[in-house]
Amino acid sequence: MDLTADDRGRTATATSPLTLRPWLPASILFAASMTFAIGSTWDIQWHGDVGPDTFFTLPHLFIYASAAVAGFTSLAVILMTTAAGRAGRTVDGELGGPGIAVFGRTFTAPLGYMVSALGAASFLLYGLWDLWWHSLYGFDAVIDSPPHIGLFLSSTVISVGTVIVFAAARAQRWGYLGALLSLAHLLTSSTVTALAVQRLSQGTVRWTVVVTAFMAILLLIAGAALRRGGATMVAICGSAIQAVFWWFAPWAAREYANFVGLPLREHIRAIPTTPALIPFMLIPVGIVIDLLLRRTNGPARLLPALAGGLGGAIVAGFAPWQNIIIYDARLPLTSIIVGTAVAGAIFGALGGFLGWRFGAMLRLTAPTSEVRA
Amino acid sequence: MMRRLFPTAAIVLAICYLLAAATGTAAAYQPVNIVHTEQVQAGPYTLTVGFSEWPLRAMQSLDFTFTPEGGIDDKTGTLATAQPDGKLRRKEPLSRHPRKHEVWGLDVRSLDKQGDWTFRFAIDGPQGHGEGELKVTVLEQPGPPLGLSWAISTLPLLALIAFLTYAWRRTTSKVTSVA
Repeated sequence: MDLTADDRGRTATATSPLTLRPWLPASILFAASMTFAIGSTWDIQWHGDVGPDTFFTLPHLFIYASAAVAGFTSLAVILMTTAAGRAGRTVDGELGGPGIAVFGRTFTAPLGYMVSALGAASFLLYGLWDLWWHSLYGFDAVIDSPPHIGLFLSSTVISVGTVIVFAAARAQRWGYLGALLSLAHLLTSSTVTALAVQRLSQGTVRWTVVVTAFMAILLLIAGAALRRGGATMVAICGSAIQAVFWWFAPWAAREYANFVGLPLREHIRAIPTTPALIPFMLIPVGIVIDLLLRRTNGPARLLPALAGGLGGAIVAGFAPWQNIIIYDARLPLTSIIVGTAVAGAIFGALGGFLGWRFGAMLRLTAPTSEVRA
Repeated sequence: MMRRLFPTAAIVLAICYLLAAATGTAAAYQPVNIVHTEQVQAGPYTLTVGFSEWPLRAMQSLDFTFTPEGGIDDKTGTLATAQPDGKLRRKEPLSRHPRKHEVWGLDVRSLDKQGDWTFRFAIDGPQGHGEGELKVTVLEQPGPPLGLSWAISTLPLLALIAFLTYAWRRTTSKVTSVA
């Protein structure tokens, strides 16, 4: 892979331009990401509220269709830009970001679509591994099995590609709105991936909460670096996804059970499983971050890290009370609350530092104003 | 190409959805096949514990059924599971098995650690309260070591970190100059 294909925001230069409108494949890619979010939320709720499983369920179809749509869309764009480059036609720099030369210069792939295509390919490989895993271990519905986490991480790669695709068109309204929405989708999905570390939570630190805080802060601050007020906008979008899924997940599980003629489990509380993982404090934390960073420009290191540390402490510190509100759980030991909040602050600071830089890198994926002119 | 690709993708998706709707009925789900049973005496109640796999292996999921003599209609109960290291899992009410509704049970549940597990039952019914327990030996997990499985699963994360690190180094001067 070579990132040197073009520095000026064009993947090819010549006379007649490629007529594909950048918003069209970007929208399909975003729809694919949301299809994964819908499918995974539905599937996890199904296992909790109903139970019986086969490979051929509607939620599974949503999950696998998401990767297929993302993969085919990315492949189509890569082939089109490659063909356009060979024909000497210009390609809009807002179509997925800077071009990457792949396999020498056999293919010219816009960065965002290249990342999404690799994520989709990885997703299908982990899907095969998941199938083998279930043939060996059965259909125990644990979210945090190695193949499931591999699938969620592959979906994360697709979502990172989606963020880049929209960030490349941040000069357009659909571009920056799509980038912030995609960051919000990535944030909400990451709360499930964070369950991978729940087995480590033996001491005074609840690592799932800490990783959730780290990812939330990283993505909120990336939003803030991408656009003024971005953290609040990402937080509002993330909370909106949480609110919609809060209604959707139990409803979809119940209706699908009715459709296939299965009863709901006894003694269920129908609590929305995955929306409950998303921090309630996103919007206040987003506002705090935007207020703290409103005067920060460029490669500042200290302030994003400080804002991230504060945000991480709030997210991690509030998590026990969120569990009380949702599950009527007992308050954990003070040492666990304090230990988790401190770890949340440390990892939040790291997330703030990284997120600010990643946001700046995202800004660079867009063509410069001279190129657009 | 795109004009042809997107309608084709839409048709393929529509066919998939229709197929899923056609096959997605309760009949498509596996029946509960009990291959081994154990008896537990919980006070005045005799409980038959059924297993759909035997012997048990760590992480391998199976169906458990819990059938008290005389049926479950006039009884309630709880199940507490103790791990090999003695730690207690959260107590849960005995619930009807989702695919064998006439008995209590756990559907496709696995025990994730090798060793001796204990199932503690508490049952309330017309003859009062009764408690009993069953020790179950779980053998070594099948398949590759868990560490290897996790190493394979984290490859996308490692690839993402490598990509971000490369992009970070490539953009350092540009990020600085933008400032």
